[in-house]
Amino acid sequence: MTLFDNLASTMLGSLSSISVTVLATLAVTLIFKTSYTTNFAQGIISAMGSYTVMELLVYSGIPIYYGVFIGVVVGVLIGLFIDLAIFRRGRYVNAIGKQIITMGMVSILVGAIPLIFRTAGLESVNLMPVVELNRYITFSENITIQLNTVIYFAVAAVIVAIVFLLLNFSKWGLGVRSTASNEQVAGMLGINTTFITAVSWGIAGALGAISATMYAGFSQMSNSLFMTTIQVNAFLACILGGFATFYGPVLGAVMIPLISAFIGFVAIYVPGLSAWREVLVYAVLLLLILWKPQGLFGPRAVKKV
Amino acid sequence: MAEMFKTFRLTRLDKKVRRVKNHAKKRGIMERHKVVTAANRQIKLANKELKKSLLQALTAEEVFDIRMQKALKKYDLKAKWEYRRVNHGFAKKIFEAAKAGDTETERKLLEKNRAEVLALDSKRARFVLRWEEKKSAFVKAGRADESVAEKRRLQFDRQLEEQKAKLSELYEIKSGLAAKNIEQFDARTADKLKALSDKRAAILGRGRTELADDVILSVNNLCMYFGGLHAVDELSFDVKKGEIFGLIGPNGAGKTTVFNCITQFYKPTRGELHFKNKENVTVRLTDYSVHDVVLEGISRTFQNVEVIKEVSVLENLLIAATRFYTASVFEQALHLPILKIEEELIKQKAETVLKLLGLSTYKDWYAFGLPYGVLKKIEIARALMTEPKLIILDEPAAGLNDTETAELAELICRIRKDFECTILLVEHDMSLVMSVCDRVCAISFGKKLALGTPDEIQADKQVQEAYLGVSEEEGESR
Amino acid sequence: MITLQQLSKGLLCNKTQLYGEEKRSRSLRGALKNPLGQYLLFGLILVVLQLVSSLGSEFGIRIIPVSFMTALGSTLIYSMVSIGFCLLLGYSGLASLGTAGFIGIGSYCAFFCFQEWGLPYIVAIMMTLAISIIIGVFVGFISLRIEGIYLAIITLGLSEILRYALQTIRATVNIDLSNIKLFGATIDKEVVFYLIVAVLLILIWITNNLIKSPTGRAMLAMKNSTSAAQAYGISLMKYRLLAFVLSTVYAALAGIMYMMYLRSVSTSMSTLFRLTTSLNILGAVIIGGAKSIWGVLAGTFIVYGLDSMFLQSIPLFNDNPTLITLFTGILIILVVMFYPGGLQQLFTLIRRKVIALAAKRREARYGRDV
Repeated sequence: MTLFDNLASTMLGSLSSISVTVLATLAVTLIFKTSYTTNFAQGIISAMGSYTVMELLVYSGIPIYYGVFIGVVVGVLIGLFIDLAIFRRGRYVNAIGKQIITMGMVSILVGAIPLIFRTAGLESVNLMPVVELNRYITFSENITIQLNTVIYFAVAAVIVAIVFLLLNFSKWGLGVRSTASNEQVAGMLGINTTFITAVSWGIAGALGAISATMYAGFSQMSNSLFMTTIQVNAFLACILGGFATFYGPVLGAVMIPLISAFIGFVAIYVPGLSAWREVLVYAVLLLLILWKPQGLFGPRAVKKV
Repeated sequence: MAEMFKTFRLTRLDKKVRRVKNHAKKRGIMERHKVVTAANRQIKLANKELKKSLLQALTAEEVFDIRMQKALKKYDLKAKWEYRRVNHGFAKKIFEAAKAGDTETERKLLEKNRAEVLALDSKRARFVLRWEEKKSAFVKAGRADESVAEKRRLQFDRQLEEQKAKLSELYEIKSGLAAKNIEQFDARTADKLKALSDKRAAILGRGRTELADDVILSVNNLCMYFGGLHAVDELSFDVKKGEIFGLIGPNGAGKTTVFNCITQFYKPTRGELHFKNKENVTVRLTDYSVHDVVLEGISRTFQNVEVIKEVSVLENLLIAATRFYTASVFEQALHLPILKIEEELIKQKAETVLKLLGLSTYKDWYAFGLPYGVLKKIEIARALMTEPKLIILDEPAAGLNDTETAELAELICRIRKDFECTILLVEHDMSLVMSVCDRVCAISFGKKLALGTPDEIQADKQVQEAYLGVSEEEGESR
Repeated sequence: MITLQQLSKGLLCNKTQLYGEEKRSRSLRGALKNPLGQYLLFGLILVVLQLVSSLGSEFGIRIIPVSFMTALGSTLIYSMVSIGFCLLLGYSGLASLGTAGFIGIGSYCAFFCFQEWGLPYIVAIMMTLAISIIIGVFVGFISLRIEGIYLAIITLGLSEILRYALQTIRATVNIDLSNIKLFGATIDKEVVFYLIVAVLLILIWITNNLIKSPTGRAMLAMKNSTSAAQAYGISLMKYRLLAFVLSTVYAALAGIMYMMYLRSVSTSMSTLFRLTTSLNILGAVIIGGAKSIWGVLAGTFIVYGLDSMFLQSIPLFNDNPTLITLFTGILIILVVMFYPGGLQQLFTLIRRKVIALAAKRREARYGRDV
């Protein structure tokens, strides 16, 4: 195998990971922009969606396409519940308080998943992929890619495109952007911020459910916390790209799996490196963030005294 | 590069100086504490002795009286609740009866009430009587020798005089110690400091500026650019010792930027800032980092009041004095005596400052929810805690009404007199500037327009055009 | 003629003139009003619990089961971390999600020093402290550049790095303390419990002292307004570094204690060094009320101690262990929703209510104060 072959196949291999991370990151960004908090429950809400899909598939025999739809509905409902029933009812909930609430939500759902879903009792299960795993697209002799991955990537790309179109051209998108810059002023200008935030939570829940279902397709659902790694990556992607814009985090989310794949590629030639792959990935991310704390794609802020 | 290295060396040198000074100060505080505690112990002992001899000097009858008074006091404290219970219970019933117009019951209840109160009274009388009986029995049994008692009393009086003299002597020692300046260093420390200051002079080299005798702060060709924006451009002025200097200008003229440059919140793009510090040495302010400027004797207040809301007013003042504690973090973690002593001293100082500004009532209040005028005063009090030579007030009158502004003007003049410091202020409120300032500098778009006495500034054509021209029309319309 | 009353009132010796004199009550009640006395009482109760438990097991009576003591011990270990985090979040206003990684450092240092290299205790602890101080200083420098939620996520990344590194070095660590001697004796679980109590008390005492000294106030100033703090000579670098170093050191000490008490961790499987722990500690501090030591201890008890110490003995929860997690989550959300000041606020409210009730009852009986 040539150098190029190795590079190309590792990079192509990261496509599925990119699609999952991008969706999760978009969800985290949406919520950060409208609720001013990092949603620690993103991972567990997503897991809830994917478990729904799983349960329907294994015990009710409902095909995966309908299952995904119901999973998305579950994600949306949980998102709406957090915003409408908890955030809006609390007496003096500030940014840190919201974080802790999402954290409490993690506890609740971690406790609830084994009670609700029979599949959670199974040791580790793979969600059935959309098409069989052994179907490949072949570019050349050494460069092949699973058809599955391509489908995932296409789905993710379409969803991201739709969300961006909504953000830029719909009334809701305008509301999100104005809420992001200043919630109070937006409210005073007659924008229904409650509605905007609730819809954002719903969309975030849906994005999460889709991403978790995809992730379950190529990795294992060992327990209800299986999305934690993706969630951590999504947070880092947000910081890496900069919270100031919507496209920054998404680009950041594309970068993280690519960096990881590149280090994997280098590890082919450097023995002993593969064990330290994750450490190196996070170290590179940390250095990048320290170099540009406002994000690679964000504008610089000037501090006023 | 060489400049950076120089600053670095200066910073290290300053740290060393501070360490030496702190060490000496700490020793001074501990020594003083030792003497004071010894004196305190002696005072206590003397008091104890005095008490003993007084007890001896009293006749048995008097001693008994004291005991009786104590017992009675205790009884009354208890009986108070009984009285209140009786009165409260009847008051309700009587009120109801009166409301219903039932005079018969009312009268009956009143009588009953009186009877109960009388019963309580007689109970107390009986208690007193019992004690009287006891006393007479006691006096009868051990009739004290009157002549001996007289002798003892005379002896006690003499002792009292002696002790009083001794105590006053002790107090004198204490007050002398308290007044003693701890900053007076012993010979070795002074030598060390001398060597360090020589070294400092050597680092600075020949090209250093000395300010004239009456100048405390000199701003020379100060420039501060934010990208393309020239917030301050080639600004120069001198502030004289002991004066109130005003800086005025329309919105966005760069007044606050000048302040931020002086206090090193912004590092100026170009220009020189010289200041005569607490030891009358001319220093270049750009050599210091933000948090060290205050040690040289510059303290500032903020435009949007930055009082710490979650601690009390007194603690706010203590926060300002953080750098005046010599106790290290380690000593603080273990709460060693040095910290307690310093805490006490600095608290006393804070209380004096609060008293001077008339804030004593708010001492233990949380700063959260206090009126704006009080918060402004707390800011000034906080600035005073650092023993400043130059106080920088950033729009002190903003958000105050006319009476408060007049009060503030009076306060500023008083501070200058009492604390012997120079005051530099930025202000929009022209009445304040014109009434308190000795000299005023007007700037516009970062450039100096005019500098002079308030009258001169008011008469200046350029200033009128840039600034007063607008407000004159407003003045007419008022 | 001077009378005794006048003298005792201090005619000659005015209390205010005796500066520097401590007004301390010598009675037991006075001692309990003093925080140090309260902490000592707390420690005493813990020691008595352990004594009762071990005496009971000696005579075959199950007064306090061993599992209860183990749960209590680990709750105390987490309390150390929480107290360090309280300095960081409640006083310095710095949010960190790197706690789990810092605990990991302590645990692995303990493992390597005790098990692999067989070093004496004091050397092991010194080494751990040195390493954690270095990491604390590093994070402190980061915090000078990045603030708020960004800092939290950066520290989260750092924690992940630490976890993956530890996992790569050794996936599962088991410690056998029988070879190592402390003061010439091997230590069993009981002795480690006493050690935990002692270390916790020392940490609480130090924290309490710092909070009530200029350092604590400087940290509060820094949290509320960095510019005001700087204007009054508070160096952001010094205090941020200090806060991070202290919280890292506390977490590392907790890591050592965890290793000595529970003696095995499988890094790849357990959640100890993961985001969950960092979030739980954050939750414990917020629930407790961020600025009060007792509140933080109570918060840690709710997050860690409540289920393992009490709820597990209830049959309903014993059958469905995940119900406990659910229950804790609901509790956390309720506290944050309705008492943003945490349990500290709740306790203050209850105390105020009780005092008001007593006053009302007195008024009903004796009438209004005139």
